[in-house]
Amino acid sequence: MSHRNWPVLAALPVLAVVAAPAWAADYMTVEQAQHALIPQAQAFTAIPLTLTPAQMTRIRQMSGTPQRTAQPKVWRAQRGAAMLGWIIVDEVIGKHEFITYATGISPDGHVLGVEILSYRESKGGQVRDPRWRDKFRGKTLADPFRLNQDIPNISGATLSSRNVTDGVKRLLAIHAVTLAHAG
Amino acid sequence: MITRCRPLLGTFVEITAPEGHVSAVDAAFAAIAHVHARMSFHQDDSDLALLRKTSAGDVVRLDAETIRVLRLALDLHGQSGGLFDVAVVGPALVRSGFLPRCDIGRLSDYRGTSADLAILDDQHVRVEKRVLVDLGGIAKGHAVDRAVDVLQGMGVPEGLVNAGGDLRAFGDRDWPVALRDADDVARISVAARNCAIASSANLLNRRRHRGQPQSPHIGAQGRAVLCDERVTVVARLCAIADAMTKVAMADMPLAQRLLATYGGHALQTPHHESHT
Repeated sequence: MSHRNWPVLAALPVLAVVAAPAWAADYMTVEQAQHALIPQAQAFTAIPLTLTPAQMTRIRQMSGTPQRTAQPKVWRAQRGAAMLGWIIVDEVIGKHEFITYATGISPDGHVLGVEILSYRESKGGQVRDPRWRDKFRGKTLADPFRLNQDIPNISGATLSSRNVTDGVKRLLAIHAVTLAHAG
Repeated sequence: MITRCRPLLGTFVEITAPEGHVSAVDAAFAAIAHVHARMSFHQDDSDLALLRKTSAGDVVRLDAETIRVLRLALDLHGQSGGLFDVAVVGPALVRSGFLPRCDIGRLSDYRGTSADLAILDDQHVRVEKRVLVDLGGIAKGHAVDRAVDVLQGMGVPEGLVNAGGDLRAFGDRDWPVALRDADDVARISVAARNCAIASSANLLNRRRHRGQPQSPHIGAQGRAVLCDERVTVVARLCAIADAMTKVAMADMPLAQRLLATYGGHALQTPHHESHT
């Protein structure tokens, strides 16, 4: 393996002491996600949907996770008269995080794609050491991460996306229980 | 800059690129989705499922990319004197409950180590003893490298791909990267430029099995590594950075020696006191 031209070794990371705020990121708006998930669609029509208690029970049984809201946010994607699928925007709340995501579902109940809209951490990132708090008091702690970009890059132990994966299963159950018959 | 985030590889994958490169970002996500499909431990149609269903002495045909990752894993296995072993990790993590049992019958049937995998060509492996391979310690890094290849191949001048904490930056600029410590607090930020950074920690990810604390990181003799500190490795390739965090957690001096040949280094975590 060649050792030439390795900027990585030259680019010794500059250690800067910063205290990250609880991690939060906004990736996409609902509208952007709609077009990203079903790009052929010309129109996305909001579908008012109220789940009955029986449907909510059924969704829980099918997916293994509880459906918290009786009124999921659903859009029908169309191109002319053709129905291309559904967009459902949902939230999952974990022990440490609050995630909004959009899922595209085909008319026959397949996942077309998943986009994370926003990620909020409810804990973590706090400066727990009082000496640190004093050091950074009065400063905007988010600033170091806003250099040229909006999203903080974090390297650390891997975060699990299990909640979202389970959420997508639940949205497929919503589709099967209600939308699959709604055309 | 735009940043997109999708749930892949069991974590959240972020891709950042300048405006106007959305189709390249989509293609990079597709490359990661391919790695996810082929190298998932959980999915029963992945290459890893094929591998664990293969009887001793048989040859199995795998995706060329899986072979590429296995080649690197076997190389690391040899270089690390057997410490980095994707076939020892599998049974150990199923036993401790960090990986699901899937279609696995008896764990004791899987006695093979990395030394029992013979790569025949770019698509075929002979399994000398039955193996239960998990690529959790290297596939995320490989996926990041693939995504960067795709972005650069499509003319994206700069960008960053972050697969749940294992990331790689490219282009003529510094990218600020916060390092999240083992206790979940980010205290340090580094500037990344044309390099990969991977971190591992397990202080907050432990479980008990038969009274013993377990972690998702496996060291010598298949024993869990309990490391209270974050370990961060900088390298040219993210696959190397990813894999070497696992070696570094178990044996930092060995990791430092190996990184000298693979190109990279482990970041020494400064003690908090030094900044007060």
